[in-house]
Amino acid sequence: MSAQSLEIRRSSASVWGSRSGMRTVPTVSKYIDTTTCIGCKACEAACQEWNDLETVATRQTGTYQTLPTLDSQYWNLIRFNERDFDGGIIWLMRKDQCMHCDEPGCLAACPAPGAIVQYANGIVDVNPDQCIGCGYCETGCPFDVPRFHATTGKMAKCTLCVDRTSVGLEPACIKACPTGCLQFGTKDDMVALGNGRVEQLKGNGFANAALYDPQGVGGTGVVTVLAHGDHPEWYNLPADPHVPLLVKFWKSVLRPLGVVAIFGAVIGAFGHYMNHGRKGVKGAAAHDANLPEA
Amino acid sequence: MSTVASRPADPAVRVAREKEDVLVGDEIVRHRIISRAIHWTVAVTFFVSLLTGMPIWTPVFGWMASLFGGLSVCRVLHPWAGVVFSLASVFMFFDWAADMRFDPHEKKGWWGPRLFHYLRWEFEDVETGKYNGGQKFYFWTAGLGSLGLLLSGLIIWFPRAFPALVRELSFVIHDLTFILFAVALVFHIYLATSAEPGTFRSMTRGTVTRKWARLHHPRWYREVTGEDTRRS
Repeated sequence: MSAQSLEIRRSSASVWGSRSGMRTVPTVSKYIDTTTCIGCKACEAACQEWNDLETVATRQTGTYQTLPTLDSQYWNLIRFNERDFDGGIIWLMRKDQCMHCDEPGCLAACPAPGAIVQYANGIVDVNPDQCIGCGYCETGCPFDVPRFHATTGKMAKCTLCVDRTSVGLEPACIKACPTGCLQFGTKDDMVALGNGRVEQLKGNGFANAALYDPQGVGGTGVVTVLAHGDHPEWYNLPADPHVPLLVKFWKSVLRPLGVVAIFGAVIGAFGHYMNHGRKGVKGAAAHDANLPEA
Repeated sequence: MSTVASRPADPAVRVAREKEDVLVGDEIVRHRIISRAIHWTVAVTFFVSLLTGMPIWTPVFGWMASLFGGLSVCRVLHPWAGVVFSLASVFMFFDWAADMRFDPHEKKGWWGPRLFHYLRWEFEDVETGKYNGGQKFYFWTAGLGSLGLLLSGLIIWFPRAFPALVRELSFVIHDLTFILFAVALVFHIYLATSAEPGTFRSMTRGTVTRKWARLHHPRWYREVTGEDTRRS
């Protein structure tokens, strides 16, 4: 649902001039520390409850993971990844949800005006009134987040609890977390928190610890501390996420050229008629002596 | 019961129900009824696909969505109209392909210098048969185009069944194909109406005048009437 009180920074399929860009509001951010997550799933339950989502039947696939992947009624999922490492087993648990990218691929791909919006504070939200359920956002998103409701076809995902944050509350998942591995604040504060934690991890022998805040999408509203930051794929995270080049090409190059080409063709046909007129008898007279009257 | 021998009210139209390339009175039947029906099915489904697709393609054409009741309606209607268009195009392809083979003298340049020569109304080729090189060229590109639109369209319609790169390429192919098709269509309609009077009726009534045939498609005229029109 869209929060009317928040001004919109970017809107899907808008031509131009629709935003004032006058307000400067700090970007909000969720901080996730995968190294202190215990996989209790309180955040999953909190998200379901706060958003009045339907119960989704869980599927046992051999791990503690609730579902194989996100769902239109399950916006927040703890991913359990077990790996052999350094003579033992490591459990990499990561809270998976919409990353609220600074340059959202979903918004770039969406063809419905105003169906996907980015508020001034960076939250990326879906407006179901405008959503046509076409699925383009799925191709635009580098994190495979958009999911579609089975009967209405609308896209649904984590809203960063925009209805809570716009009245000064923290997101439901953050509130429910018992270990403090989830925090909420401004992007600058969360990045500072993350960098501090990364330094601490490095001191504890995790030389490749890193804060996952990929610049390919302009940075993300959700920043994640990874103990094995050199292998984001171990956490089901893409190494270099960005809005697909072909999507950018299609929207920013091919489309305007196409509009010009089609208008050009119509103008061209009209211009041709004014300049050359109709196809007539003159040419035929050169080779045909007896053109009939009718 | 009347004893006066009754004659068909519009002989050319009645003949056009079954046959084409025949002379009936002062008219030559150019397209029989099934060809016309298929053509109009293709045309209407193409326009529905076009007008439902363009508002999805760009908000610049968002106003077209109102023709159908909104963008959500367009999103549902577009793939179905596209499928019917593709099916009708298959029928059209097989109906017309035999007449669309390029003659040896037509092989060169119909998409380049020859096309512009023709568009300046500069001369008529006495060997032009039922369809000229430009029309044949349009037929083959439209055929390929409708196949491209179908395949890329199916991928866009069922994205989860395909990997990301295939989906991304489909958007580009669908767009490019539709743009080329739309540009060609503008000229197809223009040439079939304003630019060449006497043409549109060939697709509605199904017939053309002798003069039209002799002017635009001299070899076809010779084949149908048996007359020798070449200047000696």
